[in-house]
Amino acid sequence: MPHFILDGKEIQFIQGQTIIEAAAKVGIDIPHFCWHPSLTVSGNCRVCLVEIEKMPKLAIACSTLASDGMVVNTNSVKALSARNAVMEFLLINHPLDCPICDEAGECKLQDYAFDHSVGESRFVENKVHKEKRVSLGTHVMFDGERCISCSRCIRFCDEIAGVNELTFINRGDKVTIDTFPGKELSNPYSLCVTDICPVGALTSKDFRFKSRVWDMSSTKTICSGCSRGCNVEMWVRNNEILRLTPRYNEEVNSYWMCDEGRLNTFKSVNADIRVNGPHIKRDGTLVKAGWDEVFALATSELKSYNKSEIAVLGSAFATCEENFVLAKFAKSVLGIKNIDFAKHEKPNSGDDILIRDDKSPNSFGAELAGIHPLKDGLNFQNIMRAIDEKKIKALYLVEDDLVSLDEDYKKILSKLELFIVHSSNFNSTTELADIVFPAATYAEKNGTWINFQGRIQKLLPAVMTVEMDRSLDGMAMSRLDKFGTEFDRWGKSKKMNARPIWKIITSLANALGTKYKYQTSEEIFDEMSKTIDLFKGLDYQRVGELGVKLNVTTLAKVKV
Amino acid sequence: MTMEKIVLPDIENLHQLDVYLKNGGYSAAQKAFSLTSDEIIDQVKKSGLRGRGGAAFSAGIKWSFMPKSNDKPKYLCINGDESEPGSFKDRQVFEFNPHQLIEGTIISCFAIGAKVSYVYIRGEYHKWIKLFQKALDDAYANNFVGEGMKQKFGTDFSCDIYIHKGAGAYICGEETSLMNSIEGKRGYPRIKPPFPAQSGLWGNPTTINNVETITNIPPIINKGWEWFASIGEPKHPGTILFGISGHVNKPGVYELPSGTLLTELIFNYAGGVPGNKKVKCVIPGGSSMPPLRGDQIEGIKMDAESLKIAGSAIGTGGVIVMDEDTDLVKVLARIAKFYYHESCGQCTPCREGTGWMLKLLNRIVRGEGSKKDVDLLISVANNIDGNTVCALGEAAAWPVKFMIQRFRDEFDARVKDEIMIPVLNKVHSMRKTANPLSPVQN
Ligand SMILES: Cc1cc2nc3c(=O)[nH]c(=O)nc-3n(C[C@H](O)[C@H](O)[C@H](O)COP(=O)(O)O)c2cc1C
Ligand code: SF4
Ligand code: SF4
Ligand code: SF4
Repeated sequence: MPHFILDGKEIQFIQGQTIIEAAAKVGIDIPHFCWHPSLTVSGNCRVCLVEIEKMPKLAIACSTLASDGMVVNTNSVKALSARNAVMEFLLINHPLDCPICDEAGECKLQDYAFDHSVGESRFVENKVHKEKRVSLGTHVMFDGERCISCSRCIRFCDEIAGVNELTFINRGDKVTIDTFPGKELSNPYSLCVTDICPVGALTSKDFRFKSRVWDMSSTKTICSGCSRGCNVEMWVRNNEILRLTPRYNEEVNSYWMCDEGRLNTFKSVNADIRVNGPHIKRDGTLVKAGWDEVFALATSELKSYNKSEIAVLGSAFATCEENFVLAKFAKSVLGIKNIDFAKHEKPNSGDDILIRDDKSPNSFGAELAGIHPLKDGLNFQNIMRAIDEKKIKALYLVEDDLVSLDEDYKKILSKLELFIVHSSNFNSTTELADIVFPAATYAEKNGTWINFQGRIQKLLPAVMTVEMDRSLDGMAMSRLDKFGTEFDRWGKSKKMNARPIWKIITSLANALGTKYKYQTSEEIFDEMSKTIDLFKGLDYQRVGELGVKLNVTTLAKVKV
Repeated sequence: MTMEKIVLPDIENLHQLDVYLKNGGYSAAQKAFSLTSDEIIDQVKKSGLRGRGGAAFSAGIKWSFMPKSNDKPKYLCINGDESEPGSFKDRQVFEFNPHQLIEGTIISCFAIGAKVSYVYIRGEYHKWIKLFQKALDDAYANNFVGEGMKQKFGTDFSCDIYIHKGAGAYICGEETSLMNSIEGKRGYPRIKPPFPAQSGLWGNPTTINNVETITNIPPIINKGWEWFASIGEPKHPGTILFGISGHVNKPGVYELPSGTLLTELIFNYAGGVPGNKKVKCVIPGGSSMPPLRGDQIEGIKMDAESLKIAGSAIGTGGVIVMDEDTDLVKVLARIAKFYYHESCGQCTPCREGTGWMLKLLNRIVRGEGSKKDVDLLISVANNIDGNTVCALGEAAAWPVKFMIQRFRDEFDARVKDEIMIPVLNKVHSMRKTANPLSPVQN
């Protein structure tokens, strides 16, 4: 393999790679603002100027192809002073809003100013002033003074979102970005520009001024918005989710995620209508009850029906582990055959970029974990029909708001004699239930989902329930979590009295006389890897942060 | 003294097609079609013709960079953006000898294998755009350009020529910016490599040459490269259109052999300085080139090599003369204003640095500058120089660097040792000029 020398280190590269690419591949970060691995090279920020032996002028590492034997210096006097110079230029007209800037703490300009600047400004003139609050679209705000004109946002729209929504206007130091007259930044991925903007020029209206980044913990998990399963970081302060940001996974979502997933998936976790503790229906209204009381009630009620009168519905929103335990419970404890789950397809809502028609994150995994009708059992449609015909009298449903899927289900579900629901939030389905178990959300549990590609990916808890402890359970911690005290005004976080499905089912099984010993989601996964072919050889460690693609050849046989 | 003129011969009404034809017009094209493209490129190479657009790069060598294969369309762009202050020579070609430019264009297209040529003309040149369009229409009507040329010249080659009007941006004279402009994009220069010959207009092989460069082609083909190479300075042969302006009695465009003495140009052709005042400063090649001290112009020859030795450059041959009463600080501030105004804003050093230099200079002009500010100016200019996407960075930095270097006394006389600057920031009412504590090395 050809190689070049970077600051005395030998770097191997593939023909056609630029210096910055080859360095990045081996984890060396050559300072850059405008270069982004997924966008075309624009070479405009000039901060990656390096000295290359035998070249008369400095060259930019982002566009200069690596060549065999090349000797590159990022820290020679010439390279260093050019980098200092560029940093100085970038800062002379910069507003230095850091104390009130959302980007502070994750700002490239801040970081590089710290690493590569002289520390003293020689600029005593008046700064150039620009518009500081420009709404570019529904979700994105622009601050012209913070913009360093790197063109990343423009290139993102052109090259990734496939819409030419942003452009530079004006010239010289009056350059700023704008949308075209009468048009907005409105592509379904618009908020990605806030991720790749190296400074605080583009901010999310949803997140603006909500939190300093260092006051939040960030947890590597998966978006629940559709069957793509974009890898995300979930940012939590005071046990409240404040934002999601995409997490790089080339196989799934690269550096991106859609606005819908980013904005509208986590709010239900923070919502006021969470089911906090078990509830049972008394005199037509749901009232709080103790866990033991509800387990006892559920057990006795379930026992009073014939096997053919009971149906169990798993969920494409629940984890593989939960669906697995539920399926096992339905088959071997309840001994029933009517098992299925509801699909959440929205035809033609997907695109060629990330968004999928299937609006649930785990339909693949639910099926694979055993949520499908047994021989002679009823499928979802037939279960609903049987309820309507009063042939099925008891329904056990987990994590699915069926009424939101179809208003008509309301009438049907009202015909049930026993309706047990696991739900994280009160909704029009729980209204009809006799027993509501409080479900831990995807943000509050461990588990796995399988995306449309057949990739198994890991969820990690970011939000504590009453049964969890951030430090004891190894959850991600922010500076506040580590050093905040009980007396801080944000120290008193809200926690839900909720449990993952597998845990509740385990208790129920035990109450019904079958010993289930699961203590963690991981134990269930290990059992699955022993019993389900596709999971052979897998464990949480191997699934890791980026997931594992299940064996494709076998996959083809599995109906999705 | 009679001197051979190549680009702007003294022939009345030469801009008219019939007059041009009577004087041997389009015979070079006829001759060219009997040669192979390699032979033409070779002739141009040997003639020593160097670009007249600023960088004085060999035209023949530039053409030889064009790929020989025909798997992609190829283009020729003729650069008539002419926006550098002090440059006003290409418009003479549009007005007085447009057909020689057209003839040069078709020969050049043939040589590099381009079927389409765009003549990019500065937007403010309304009059010259009209004049050139008229000549082009005549050439089309008489089958010297377009499909008809096949029959006219008895060749199977044809090409089209389009005028593309600029929209008032100096930066669109930069070759890659010019291509973006033709493509309908924002006039941002592109990073090089890839060079235009590899990837130019719409990603296809493209050659860009100045109007004057191309207008030299027909005589070279007609009279042979030896003839051309023998005119003027051997390393930069031919005539040059010198546009001289400023404090001279007869400003204008003079076509003279390369290597003509600068003093000859100023005092003989341009009639000297009004009031017989002394020359304080001369910018020899358009406002972006390093200014020369008036007391050092004796013996300086006007060609690329000689001017390089003298510490400047030939640029576009636009000579700006300033007499002893000129306020060079103001001049520099005005030049800086131009480059500030024309910086496209794409890359950091030029976008931010041009404004900074202008602010510093304006402050010095107002009498609010300090000694440190003069050093700071040089440092800022150095920090731009060589670190930008395109050569506008240098164009902005050089005048500042070299004007101060060569006329330091004028600047020092305008600044104080120390200065208090009122700062708009309400927190600090007064602040000393910042110390360039950690000078950025260059
Ligand atoms: C900022 C800038 C402006 C320029 N403007 C012009 C121009 O107006 N006309 C021109 O011929 N060349 C101009 N040039 C030079 C061109 O980039 C290019 O080198 C030239 O057109 C090549 O032609 P030549 O080889 O025939 O000289 C400019 C260059 C820069 C950096
Ligand atoms: S963009 Fe960065 S440097 Fe600028 S104000 Fe925000 S945090 Fe500070
Ligand atoms: S808004 Fe941000 S991403 Fe866009 S050009 Fe400015 S700094 Fe770059
Ligand atoms: S040097 Fe100036 S004109 Fe050239 S690309 Fe950079 S900002 Fe634009």
